[in-house]
Amino acid sequence: MTNLKILFTVVATLAVFTFVANVIPQVQSAVPREIVLSADMPPEELAAIGEEIYAGAGGCTACHGLGTRAPDLLGVVGGVCATRVPGQSCKDYLWESLINPTAYIVEGFDPIMIDQSIVSSQAELWTLVAFLESQGGEITVNADDFAAALAADDAAAAAPPPVAVTDPSQLDGMAIIEAQQCLACHAIGGVGGQVAPPFEDLRGQDPAFIRESIVDPNATINPDYQAFAGTMSPALAQMMSPAELDALVEFLATGGVGSGAGAEAPGDAAEVPPDSAGGSR
Amino acid sequence: MKRRMTRGVVTRGVLLAALALAVALPLLAQAPGPDYGEFNFLGLDRRGAVWIAAQLHLLFAAFVLGVPMFAVVIEAIGMFGGDEKYDKLAKEFTRLLLVAYSATAIWGAILVFFLSTLYPRFWAYLTAIFAPSMWVYAGLFFLESFTLYLYYYGWDAWKKGAAKKVHWCLGIMLNIWGTIVMFIANGWLTYMMSPPEGLTADTAPQTVQLWSAINNATWMPINIHRLLANVVFGGAIVGAYAAYRFLTSRTDEERAHYDWMGYTGNLIAIGALIVLPFAGYWLGREIYEFSQQMGITMMGGFMSWLWIIQAFLIGILFLAGNYYLWIGMGRIPGAERFQPYIKWMLLVLVLGVIVWATPNTMIADRDEIAAMGGIRHPFLQVLGVMSAKNTAVNLMILTTFLSFLMYRRANKDPVVPWARAGTMLQGAAFALCAVVVVFYGVYGYFVTAIVRIGFSVYQVLAVLATILFVIGIDMAMLRGAKSRGEIRWGRMPDRSQYALLILAVTFTWLMGLMGFARSGIRQHWHVYEVIRDTSEQAFTPALGPAATIISICVLIFFGLVGVIFWLGGLAERSVYQEAEAEAKGAEGHAALGEPMPSPALGDVD
Repeated sequence: MTNLKILFTVVATLAVFTFVANVIPQVQSAVPREIVLSADMPPEELAAIGEEIYAGAGGCTACHGLGTRAPDLLGVVGGVCATRVPGQSCKDYLWESLINPTAYIVEGFDPIMIDQSIVSSQAELWTLVAFLESQGGEITVNADDFAAALAADDAAAAAPPPVAVTDPSQLDGMAIIEAQQCLACHAIGGVGGQVAPPFEDLRGQDPAFIRESIVDPNATINPDYQAFAGTMSPALAQMMSPAELDALVEFLATGGVGSGAGAEAPGDAAEVPPDSAGGSR
Repeated sequence: MKRRMTRGVVTRGVLLAALALAVALPLLAQAPGPDYGEFNFLGLDRRGAVWIAAQLHLLFAAFVLGVPMFAVVIEAIGMFGGDEKYDKLAKEFTRLLLVAYSATAIWGAILVFFLSTLYPRFWAYLTAIFAPSMWVYAGLFFLESFTLYLYYYGWDAWKKGAAKKVHWCLGIMLNIWGTIVMFIANGWLTYMMSPPEGLTADTAPQTVQLWSAINNATWMPINIHRLLANVVFGGAIVGAYAAYRFLTSRTDEERAHYDWMGYTGNLIAIGALIVLPFAGYWLGREIYEFSQQMGITMMGGFMSWLWIIQAFLIGILFLAGNYYLWIGMGRIPGAERFQPYIKWMLLVLVLGVIVWATPNTMIADRDEIAAMGGIRHPFLQVLGVMSAKNTAVNLMILTTFLSFLMYRRANKDPVVPWARAGTMLQGAAFALCAVVVVFYGVYGYFVTAIVRIGFSVYQVLAVLATILFVIGIDMAMLRGAKSRGEIRWGRMPDRSQYALLILAVTFTWLMGLMGFARSGIRQHWHVYEVIRDTSEQAFTPALGPAATIISICVLIFFGLVGVIFWLGGLAERSVYQEAEAEAKGAEGHAALGEPMPSPALGDVD
């Protein structure tokens, strides 16, 4: 009898642990699939790949579908995209919305989306267009669109990489901000988005805190911007070189005083000449 | 004698076969062909098979590495303090090692077979880098085996004088060999987590320098973390063994002995557990420094809910550990004066667990998010942050220490003239510590994250300083203290022993969970960002399926440990029965109500 009680104790304890671990939210880490794109892919296959990007690496579902940050596109957008701008086809409208998101802002929503060509290749963007078209409409992305995009991607890949700058003091913090489209959400000198804290708030802050906020944007959420928590992707930090990240952190912490080439005080941001944008990636 | 030889031959034979296969198979694996063939064993896929073999090998290995650490300390207490009961306890601990040692080797061999046949190319890759260290590992394993046999079987032969000191040195050597063996194996697994900088998928493994592969970013933090965790685990399993023996004992003397043994095992486990978070913080920091992405995956990515489960488990450990102490006070004359405080301590612990297990963010649908006004709950978000959690856990540690202090003082009345002042000083230290912990907890809401992280160090240091200060006063104050009566060892209700069993199961499951976290943060990489796992099972499962595998491992482990306990009981029981028979023929041998008995445990093999 004692042995049975001992057995019951062990099994019951394990059962409780297993039960608790099974009733909490279940999130599985999927293996990122290596997507091989070719010009002769059928539209349905393009849309399927686009759906994978939409729900995964693209990070689209961080805002679309929640109902509060961006419009819900699923099942709808393919049916209305051709009617949004007179004379513009559905796929052109969607393409423009991806690479120039502030061009068309649906009423009631804020301009918080960044240019998707920063994070996706042209071919991947066309798969996204195909997927979005399939949501209530016909897929019109064709082999010509796709072949041109692949050629552009190949050309970009074949181009010699920019000379890597390893000294943060040689980098322009303001140029990095513009290249990474930080001003889509943050403002500096009164210019920029209103859905994330203005960069002036970071002046004088601990550089380690600023770095953490870039690398892990959800580590600390400013209560005033709670509604937009989760909007900023951790992938943004990965798109910068270590030197760029260092330069950006120093620029923000010092208000531009300590940053290297092209340093500007945040209050002077509006005076930055347009050609200073485009720091190396 | 024959039995001893057979056991040793089996262990070494298994190890040799495994090593021969380990070296031969990589050569076969170079042949062209698919990386992975079909595999299904009792419904297990290749990852499940390797997972279970590795987990069971690790659990037995942790036990055989942890127990010698405190066995040698307890032997020293007996040797230098002149109290033979400690010496006998140390020997009984060591007896458990013998069968567990064979089980460790067998599961290690099964793991090698699985790795080399189910993941041949990756195994070939690892052996190309680590082969020299594998041979050193095998050599040390032999040394460790023979040292263990000498240590255990020489216990009674080298019992007196200088021979005893030599015997004790054997125990130290056993720990040294075991520690090096573990460090080597840790080098292999931490290489998979944090390989040296500059490696790519095209880097020929033969060109990777062995020492740089072993001495990687997470090697030493894992070494230290595992050393401490092994002590915790060893103490918990010894406590479970004592509980099993207590519950199945037939004599009062036997019950008294295993009550004492269970208390000692639990004290070791909880004591080492208190310092384990320091090693955990270090490991976590090194992971972040190695790869911020890996750190984010661990703490804020798909594994973020794992830490809620961990909080739930550690909450159970605190509650069960304190419950055991509180019940134990029932067998101590004078402990009744502390009973009124227990309900308040329970309240602190329960509130602490609730706060610690509060999630920071919720996975919610759009309606729920709209209702909450964001992804965080308007009230619970206040409790789900590190400021609240660190405060909760530090107050829980402080409360547990208070339980231990009451237990320790229960039957003692200090006689030093400054006893009242000393007690007040101790109370003031507790109060001050609680104020410091709560102050930094509240202040943490008003500073940036990086400053807040620094506060957790102040909180932990305040608790540790208080523990050292209070225990120092207590030791001085209780010198020559008047006794209110001896501890009535053996007079424990059975439910206290079930608390020990739950503690052991929880510690074991927690080890499995943390192992999943450590291995899972590599995600779909065999070697992080160097060698991809291209098998069908490359994805990292969610917590539910992982928990099922962990539970299967723990169930198998306790099934096998049950056999070991039963084997250990076979030898012990005859000794107690003989002692009982002798006692019946003599007068005045009632064990209860007397100081800790010393059964003739040293007479059995």
